[in-house]
Amino acid sequence: MALIYKLLNGTYILSKCPKRSTALHPFLGIHFADYCSSSLQKPEAAPGKASSQRKTEGGLQGHHQKEVAVDITSPEEKPEVSFDKAIRDEIKDHFRRLKDEIVNHWIGPEGRPLHEVLLEQAKVVWQFRGKEDLDKWVVTSDKTIGGRSEVFLKMGKNNQSALLYGTLSSEAPQDGESSRSGYCAMISRIPRGAFERKMSYDWSHFNTLYLRVRGDGRPWMVNIREDTDIIQRKNQMYSYFMFTRGGPYWQEIKIPFSKFFFSNQGRIRDVQSQLLLDKISSIGFTLADKVDGPFFLEIDFIGVFTDPAHTEEFAYENSPEISPRLFK
Amino acid sequence: VPPQTPRSLHCSAAAHNSESSLVPGPPEPRRKPIKALSPYEDLFRQAPGVERDKASFVRTVQNFGQHNVHKRGHVDFIYLALRKMREFGVERDLAVYNLLLDVFPKEVFRPRNVFQRIFVHYPRQQECGITVLEQMENNGVMPNKETEFLLIQIFGRKSYPMLKFLRMKLWLPRFKNISPFPVPRDLPQDPVDLAKLGLRRMEPDLSAKVTVYQMPLSKDWTGALDPTQPHIVGIQSPDQQAALARHNPARPVFVEGPFSLWLRNKCVYYHILRADLLPPEEREVEETPEEWNLYYPMQLDLEYARGGWDDYEFDIDEVEEGPVFAMCMAGAHDQATLAKWIQGLQETNPALAQIPVVFRLAGSTGELLTSSPGLEEPARPPPPEGQEEEDTVQRQQQGQS
Repeated sequence: MALIYKLLNGTYILSKCPKRSTALHPFLGIHFADYCSSSLQKPEAAPGKASSQRKTEGGLQGHHQKEVAVDITSPEEKPEVSFDKAIRDEIKDHFRRLKDEIVNHWIGPEGRPLHEVLLEQAKVVWQFRGKEDLDKWVVTSDKTIGGRSEVFLKMGKNNQSALLYGTLSSEAPQDGESSRSGYCAMISRIPRGAFERKMSYDWSHFNTLYLRVRGDGRPWMVNIREDTDIIQRKNQMYSYFMFTRGGPYWQEIKIPFSKFFFSNQGRIRDVQSQLLLDKISSIGFTLADKVDGPFFLEIDFIGVFTDPAHTEEFAYENSPEISPRLFK
Repeated sequence: VPPQTPRSLHCSAAAHNSESSLVPGPPEPRRKPIKALSPYEDLFRQAPGVERDKASFVRTVQNFGQHNVHKRGHVDFIYLALRKMREFGVERDLAVYNLLLDVFPKEVFRPRNVFQRIFVHYPRQQECGITVLEQMENNGVMPNKETEFLLIQIFGRKSYPMLKFLRMKLWLPRFKNISPFPVPRDLPQDPVDLAKLGLRRMEPDLSAKVTVYQMPLSKDWTGALDPTQPHIVGIQSPDQQAALARHNPARPVFVEGPFSLWLRNKCVYYHILRADLLPPEEREVEETPEEWNLYYPMQLDLEYARGGWDDYEFDIDEVEEGPVFAMCMAGAHDQATLAKWIQGLQETNPALAQIPVVFRLAGSTGELLTSSPGLEEPARPPPPEGQEEEDTVQRQQQGQS
């Protein structure tokens, strides 16, 4: 991250482009597009640069104009961490990851031998046993559009589970265009490979999502996003509902992937198609049940498994009245 | 002084004769931002004695149609009526929605030729129709044949409200019954019934018994007892009773709470009686008893697996917590009420008399608490036999820890 920042500002010094904001912003826009404003910060390799990488409420552009004006090679506040050393460490780290990826490709998919991957029937994808597991998730609420909901994520007791808690407020923001509001979401970060390339999960051997949670009786929505490089795909996701029971007992929720329906820009589409599992980017949990008040959700782990009793391919048929072009 | 409402030029005077008969009410308290009154707001203001309910709403909507033959400003009126539905309590009534759709003039907005069909014909009215259907969808009201006929009459078959109606017909039935733990739409108002509903929902064991330890007294009770007595409803299953009977009296049991449970839009709070996990060395190993019944097996261990290669277990140690012995919902969350619950539990669980009970009540509603080994405070030594001694170790948690 720090490396890319330095490269970009290097180009600014070299080219002396007057329209630096427009030149930098699309580049950075693509890079930062999937980081929402959150209460967590990802630990950076160079702690001195953490302040420049952090998203402010004021927006990306104003922040970078301030940063670029300052001399980049100014000495750090903490003398023991030097910027160049951090850059070198990060370059080495990325090359090491690249080497690992190439070597792992010879062993098998994701570095595991092929027979293990083919026979696997239950896989834990996200678990919450330490603080570093929490860093894989981003937490958003409708504060980004001016609402009043708050949401926080922290480790539960004994570091054995994660707790997502907060207050939901469905008071609509007075910005003249939203009539409804009130949502909180917890989204997983897209897995990154060497040089911050976007990787994806391959769950094509599995057919059910398994969650071990403990909620308070509220209905949540599970959203799965596929490969988000194309700009249209950024707004598309597959969703389904997750009903928590409430109570002191842990609840096991199994949602088959055939039940997920397709939506674009927040609206269910007429043409429904199956969720294809070979390039999953991220998963998210949303609470938007129009009821004001505090909520909490404890998650133990999230996994995928093959349910041999589930043979349905897709749960929703297309209707000839609404989408006649499909039936010609 | 009745407020000055903006009147359109062609508005008939008859529409506002209700205004002169109204008793002028007290001035509205100023709120920020100050909202301008909509043109037909005064139509919805009822006379002081008349209650706001379905009949008065229906009357108001019908009055609009009668006094205003050309139905001018019907779009604004419908938007206002949609906003006012919640006050009158009719937002889940299909007949009222059909009546509201009836306000639209018929046959005027239907496209008559191909050009009108290409461009959205009367977009403002179509948007209004879509808003009516959207409010129906948000409140979980399913449209019926009358709605379909009205929409065809007003907008035609190829219009956006008709498309939305088709989508509602497709998707609402699909998601109507997907909840494995359904909560009835009309929650009971009585707190005891609500507590029973909540407890039954939380306890997966169907053979659990719900007991009401204390009923709230009616409001006109003039006896010696405290009139604000809270209700206490508890639940315990036979398995939990057996586990409590087997529990070692040397280890304390904890009353933890209050935790929140949401039933649709009501939040209730419950407490649990649980013990800590036994350390691995003290855990009992379950012995498989001899098969004493030759006709059918007493223990059946069926698995999914087809053979040795099938393994559906996850490669992770799940979170383990101590056993829960009973749950309760009470009107008050203080120790005295919960002590009464424990006393009531003692009648069915005589073993509870020997076990020290530690109260761990959080100051505010927060997440579920379990003990972490470092923070636990040791309970006092077990009491003499025959007496129940409650260790009142009350730890106030700071906020949401």
